[in-house]
Amino acid sequence: MTTTTTMAPPALTPVVTIKIASTSDEMLQCYALRAAVFMGEQACPYDEEFDGNDYTATHVIMYVDGEPAGSMRLRWFQSFCKFERCVVLRRYRGLGIHHAINAWCKDFARRKGYTKAYIHLQKRHMPMMEKEGFRRVDDTVFKFSDHEYYAIYCDLLPSPDAITLDSAPMVVNRPEDRLDEEGILELSAERGASNPHAPHAPRAERHAN
Amino acid sequence: MTTISASIDGEPVITRTAMKMEDSLQAFAVRAACFIGELDVPYTEEFDGHDFGATHIVAYLGEEPVGTVRMRWFQSFAMPERLCVIQRFRGHEVGRLLIERCRTLAESRGCNMLYVHVLPRDKVYWEKQGWRCLDPDAPPALNGTIALVRPVKDAEVVQTEQAPEVVMLRQDTATANLRRA
Repeated sequence: MTTTTTMAPPALTPVVTIKIASTSDEMLQCYALRAAVFMGEQACPYDEEFDGNDYTATHVIMYVDGEPAGSMRLRWFQSFCKFERCVVLRRYRGLGIHHAINAWCKDFARRKGYTKAYIHLQKRHMPMMEKEGFRRVDDTVFKFSDHEYYAIYCDLLPSPDAITLDSAPMVVNRPEDRLDEEGILELSAERGASNPHAPHAPRAERHAN
Repeated sequence: MTTISASIDGEPVITRTAMKMEDSLQAFAVRAACFIGELDVPYTEEFDGHDFGATHIVAYLGEEPVGTVRMRWFQSFAMPERLCVIQRFRGHEVGRLLIERCRTLAESRGCNMLYVHVLPRDKVYWEKQGWRCLDPDAPPALNGTIALVRPVKDAEVVQTEQAPEVVMLRQDTATANLRRA
């Protein structure tokens, strides 16, 4: 599901590439973009931006012509996927590429079997997200990190090829953004099963002092 | 030698060399906020491949990372670079504190000379801190910077009346911050 799409503003046609951050370099790119936008532009303290949930989430990185330009963090709950920390670097705004990363994340969540996306949205962005099919969960307005937020959600069309208990085991093992391509572990199956773990050794007798 | 210290609203700013992954991440986050967020430097230029062959120093106000500098080491000199302070913490000499930490770190390693690339407009500020043009006749490099050096020990400080007390990452925002300070 690594997609490369050509966006259409007439003046320039940047190549937008979106993928899961799957190496520490790509993770660092996500962190740097978030620091640039939230700490640099919105004066967010470091500890609030890097809040302890970065190692329990999926990070998505978006490139424009090969340069890191945007990112999103996804957290997985039983009944919904939470889209968080969505950023587009200032120099890439106005191209509409946040729609690209939102759409990518929706498809990604659908493929994992989710039918709801949930966001804590800065109030000022509501018109933008309404266009993407998001609605407010209720009338509550809440505040954190110096902004006012709405809880919003969007129903996702169930995916016919969502991962379920019935999916082939080796499909479940594939990199999650490339579920339609053979994964590295399938290739390893060619080596057969020599079961190369150490033979079971009898436990050494323990002597009391 | 004057002892340089910095504090913000009565709370001291302290510096530490990055020793753990998380410390480095804090250094990277501060640089990303300043250089990518404020100055629109592309990611690939800011994170240029030297970060894992360098020493990172981070300035903290309590637990909050507020500034950083990167030191690269050569046989004949040490090079502080990527110096930055988060916008709202500027005007409190955090940058000077970081450079002083670079100096003492270099001294502890037996290094004799510090070397920096700075913008020509900031030259007088650096001269007041004991830095000199490496080659006064050399034109600015392609990226618009000039090279300055400073002995790790016994730098002769020039008393320049006109020397500014601070240098700025970006002229307009820095002015606002100075007023606040």
